[in-house]
Amino acid sequence: MAALAATAGGLLRLRAAGAEGQWRRLRGAGLLRGLLQPDSATGVAAQRRHVAHFTFQPDPEPQEYGQTQKMNLFQAVTSALDNSLAKDPTAVIFGEDVAFGGVFRCTVGLRDKYGKDRVFNTPLCEQGIVGFGIGIAVTGATAIAEIQFADYIFPAFDQIVNEAAKYRYRSGDLFNCGSLTIRAPWGCVGHGALYHSQSPEAFFAHCPGIKVVVPRSPFQAKGLLLSCIEDKNPCIFFEPKILYRAAVEQVPVEPYSIPLSQAEVIQEGSDVTLVAWGTQVHVIREVASMAQEKLGVSCEVIDLRTILPWDMDTVCKSVIKTGRLLISHEAPLTGGFASEISSTVQEECFLNLEAPISRVCGYDTPFPHIFEPFYIPDKWKCYDALRKMINY
Amino acid sequence: MAVAAAAARVWGSSRGLGQAGLLLLRRPGARGLARSLPQRQVQQHFPSLDDKPQFPGASAEFVDKLEFIQPNVISGIPVYRVMDRQGQIINPSEDPHLPQEKVLKFYKSMTLLNTMDRILYESQRQGRISFYMTNYGEEGTHVGSAAALDNTDLVFGQYREAAVGAAYAAKRANANRVVICYFGEGAASEGDAHAGFNFAATLECPIIFFCRNNGYAISTPTSEQYRGDGIAARGPGYGIMSIRVDGNDVFAVYNATKEARRRAVAENQPFLIEAMTYRIGHHSTSDDSSAYRSVDEVNYWDKQDHPISRLRHYLQSRGWWDEEQEKAWRKQSRKKVMEAFEQAERKPKPSPSLLFSDVYQEMPAQLRKQQEALARHLQTYGEHYPLDHFEK
Repeated sequence: MAALAATAGGLLRLRAAGAEGQWRRLRGAGLLRGLLQPDSATGVAAQRRHVAHFTFQPDPEPQEYGQTQKMNLFQAVTSALDNSLAKDPTAVIFGEDVAFGGVFRCTVGLRDKYGKDRVFNTPLCEQGIVGFGIGIAVTGATAIAEIQFADYIFPAFDQIVNEAAKYRYRSGDLFNCGSLTIRAPWGCVGHGALYHSQSPEAFFAHCPGIKVVVPRSPFQAKGLLLSCIEDKNPCIFFEPKILYRAAVEQVPVEPYSIPLSQAEVIQEGSDVTLVAWGTQVHVIREVASMAQEKLGVSCEVIDLRTILPWDMDTVCKSVIKTGRLLISHEAPLTGGFASEISSTVQEECFLNLEAPISRVCGYDTPFPHIFEPFYIPDKWKCYDALRKMINY
Repeated sequence: MAVAAAAARVWGSSRGLGQAGLLLLRRPGARGLARSLPQRQVQQHFPSLDDKPQFPGASAEFVDKLEFIQPNVISGIPVYRVMDRQGQIINPSEDPHLPQEKVLKFYKSMTLLNTMDRILYESQRQGRISFYMTNYGEEGTHVGSAAALDNTDLVFGQYREAAVGAAYAAKRANANRVVICYFGEGAASEGDAHAGFNFAATLECPIIFFCRNNGYAISTPTSEQYRGDGIAARGPGYGIMSIRVDGNDVFAVYNATKEARRRAVAENQPFLIEAMTYRIGHHSTSDDSSAYRSVDEVNYWDKQDHPISRLRHYLQSRGWWDEEQEKAWRKQSRKKVMEAFEQAERKPKPSPSLLFSDVYQEMPAQLRKQQEALARHLQTYGEHYPLDHFEK
């Protein structure tokens, strides 16, 4: 056994000699440990389940919408869908596996409650799901389509961009598919790798005619989803999957809506503006605390909420006040939505800027599997960027 | 309880993953038992009557001879027709016995369309319109099928998936409407058609898929578009009632569409009609088909098998039409088209400010700014734009 280990180690060291210096020892040690030796022998801690890179901060219980109930994010989504189907007899929900409750349990109980003609499975075909949804919406009925993972939305890209987004425009408002809403789980989840972690909002931000929305919490999710469903334009609603269970707060039982295209200043500050959406809002919230504690810097934290059309006024107003802007998202840096925000802010607030606008994003790679902890724009990277901005 | 006798099979799947299929038998397999239990167990024999496959995926008998199904493209699905090429009814029981005024309406619609095509094709050559696609040779498919529909039925030109969604919504609304979706044999190769067919069948939608197989997709002949027996043969693969008709026989098209409509609505299932025809004209005003087909081939269809000629012979043989009426109608239809064309030509185009409307139901602030920017730009640089042709 030991001889084998030595040989294997030798081979690994030979191979690893070609690799980057600081990675050499880590790589060899990791492989050896996995194959042959107990944790204690090498002194490298075994990696168990990945600890989340954020801490979900629930918002205070909303007072103005009546009775509330403790819900996590997927339950908040179910509640919104339940409200919609109760209120609107034309509303239907469809997609892969929604009938039994969905792979993330967002549609649990709805088929039993509303019937199999209103909550049903479709064949495995995203372009079909969206195209079919467009057709339902064109007749005036409410269509709520589920794409099982945002990573799978690309076969439907043509339907979304060339059909849904252009329906009203190309027919001179004779026809529209405004009652279409597409929902999809979105963002990193710790182990999702290339095809269960993507944040594709930037692809759709480039598409006039649709709306793109990302909630940060259960309360936000229900209100924003209900607004998307009510909205008279086709909407894409991305649900941060890592928050489905991890985010729990008091959510009103009755329907309520949160306006689209309105960013929310969730914490006021004077020195730096931090902008994010979805899960990343919780990361930058923590960065704001760190900045206050370690640097005495006061941060204004903004949840963008709607990516398209986005609330330029709130962001610009904030940057005019603070003079510094940091935008952060998991999606890759190049062509990510932070570039759009950055470009607009430098146009509108050029003379107010004290430092270049900072973008802390995923790297320009596919979303990695084992390298996720190094890939994501965590609080340390955001903190470091903020520090550099302050000292500019 | 079932004992799984695992027979691992690798299924190639479109997502690139191998899958092991597990054979689940209702009763224990003899071999499985022999391996897993002590030898005392008696090997059981089952009579062949009980030996039917239990797979959830197909209802079929076993076969013990290795034989591949040979696709039959030499003797494919037969072409349904009512009239011969001289416009005579072949099987009197298939004659729809339509009243004179209705058949005259068929004829006048087809010829008016033909006249409009000639005038508009010419007008493009004269630079008066930008682009046109003629219908030469396919008038029977349009008129025969349209005549079989109700005024409230929904017509989609392309948009195969959306058509299915609209049909589903019509079914839910008990609207007594059918949806018809027209597309060519080229468009039938798109994934959209596959998605549309599969969704229509699984979701039981009242829809007629009407495929105009005219022999060419721009320059691509059918031999390069598919290798199977056309489009009609695909229907049964999806579980769809299918028929192939002579698209140049307006009565055959009418009969098939009428019956499909009746049953689609009554039984909530899709129908596929493949109307065989020939594209006599070029694909569009941007195409010169002499580059890829012979003039002789085109002339054959124009002279020997034209939907308008065939119907005219039918009318003449009944004494419902003659040369004098033909002359008068040609003149009248030409006048009709010219008047409409000139009236349309005189109207100025809508105001350039409408470039920005109907992207969304409401105009977002960002778009309004762009609209204002264009207006200011035109104030200074307006002379370089064709503003004379547009309303203010």
